[in-house]
Amino acid sequence: MEIADLTSSGERFSAPGIAARFDENWKECTGRGVSIAIVDSGIDISHTALQGKIRSSSEAFREGKRIVFRDSESGDAAGHGTACAGVVLAIAPDAEIHSIKVLGSAGIGDGDSFLAGLEFAIKQRHRIINLSLGTTKPQYAAPLRDLLDRAYLAGCIVVSAANNLPQPSFPSVFSSSLIAVSKATEQDPFKFGFRFGEVIEMTAPGVNVRTTWTGNSHKTVTGNSFACPHISAVLALLLDRYPEMTPFQAKSALFAISKAASTD
Amino acid sequence: MIETVEVAEVLTTPFNESIVNLLDLSSRAIKAEGASVLLPEGEEGDLVFKWACGSVSDSLIGVTVPSGKGIAGFVYTTGQPMAVSDAERETNFYSEVDRNTGFSTHTILATPLHFDGDVTGVLEYVNREGDPPYEPFTSEEMDLAALYADAVASLVHAYTSADLLGEFSRRMLEGADGEGSRDVESFLADLEGSEEHKDRIRLAELVRRASSLGEKERELCENILESFVRYRNGGH
Repeated sequence: MEIADLTSSGERFSAPGIAARFDENWKECTGRGVSIAIVDSGIDISHTALQGKIRSSSEAFREGKRIVFRDSESGDAAGHGTACAGVVLAIAPDAEIHSIKVLGSAGIGDGDSFLAGLEFAIKQRHRIINLSLGTTKPQYAAPLRDLLDRAYLAGCIVVSAANNLPQPSFPSVFSSSLIAVSKATEQDPFKFGFRFGEVIEMTAPGVNVRTTWTGNSHKTVTGNSFACPHISAVLALLLDRYPEMTPFQAKSALFAISKAASTD
Repeated sequence: MIETVEVAEVLTTPFNESIVNLLDLSSRAIKAEGASVLLPEGEEGDLVFKWACGSVSDSLIGVTVPSGKGIAGFVYTTGQPMAVSDAERETNFYSEVDRNTGFSTHTILATPLHFDGDVTGVLEYVNREGDPPYEPFTSEEMDLAALYADAVASLVHAYTSADLLGEFSRRMLEGADGEGSRDVESFLADLEGSEEHKDRIRLAELVRRASSLGEKERELCENILESFVRYRNGGH
């Protein structure tokens, strides 16, 4: 399939016709050459399942009023990033994971460092940016929206976990400029859902997910945080197959694939 | 003066009771063996078990979770809810808590408490009732826990505000100095020791409990008390 076909005509979005044009070779890909930034609590690179898989580890530090990023050797402050990396690598084993630590780093872990981490990932032009976290503070909504626009224009595909709380969580509610994900009980990573018209458009496996954990262990976890890296990993496979794919095309592709799967 | 001295207790007790009641109610709905609320304490971001229900609630209250440790630390740091179905393998924190409390943690569901955009604490449910193998907490139960967390967060905020108000009142009294202050302290000491004062506090507590039962109960309570006062005053 040509990616252009997927996006050139409105009528071609009528599934399953469009999906029938979508070859399935991407499922055999491994994410090779695709960079994924995991903006989170860091990654435990000593975990045997992750050794050699983490291409870089950066960490937010405060310098006066500025937040800067330097190489990090402090590992994972909470286990969250390690769990997300495990989910990605289980599906896209050759993806290039880059850890950007903004939680529990050097005494900071607030919305400012979260914003700075996203901006850092965009500047690095990582193809996929995994945000399995968010903020409910309204003062961060506008700057996050600006950053998402920058990401879109830079060709970075931002994937964000919804929270399942009554309050809106940013940036996951900005569905027009990112891919927001909530958990589903489905276990097959290729059977994700697309709910056009919903604020949180995508669902992916996020219930009882077995993944890496700090202390060189594994855990069975449930949460939107773990559904999000599923979609990041699927996108890594798609970008491995179609390296020129834009953020717009990526979302269209996910839509088509999910519709095809639901009519199988 | 009575109100000032008792303000902390009078203000916080209803919230304390409501939080524990809600924990009990919600843990039944979520089919958990116990529930707890952890709040941050100190500058390091440690979490402390502040309220709990379940078999080891008494020994859990006051236990500190070091910053970033355990599922609670994880949820507090990220603001994202999560459930773990094999928590007994947790190496860094729960094994230590379990040793101290004699409890055996095997499943955990934790969700952040949000208030006014901030993560203010963590609501945690532990274990299934019955025998192993234990069912993991479901996706639906996680969503339900988030709704309970919203109510708990509001109560915790109200408790914290009441506690601050009580502390403020206490400091105001402590801050007063001179002869007048000693007279006040002496008066209050006598007052607190008096049986009449204790009776009044008990009565106030009884009225508070009765009035929390519902609108009709409040009306009935009010009518009874008014009738009694009218009767004692010789009215009709």
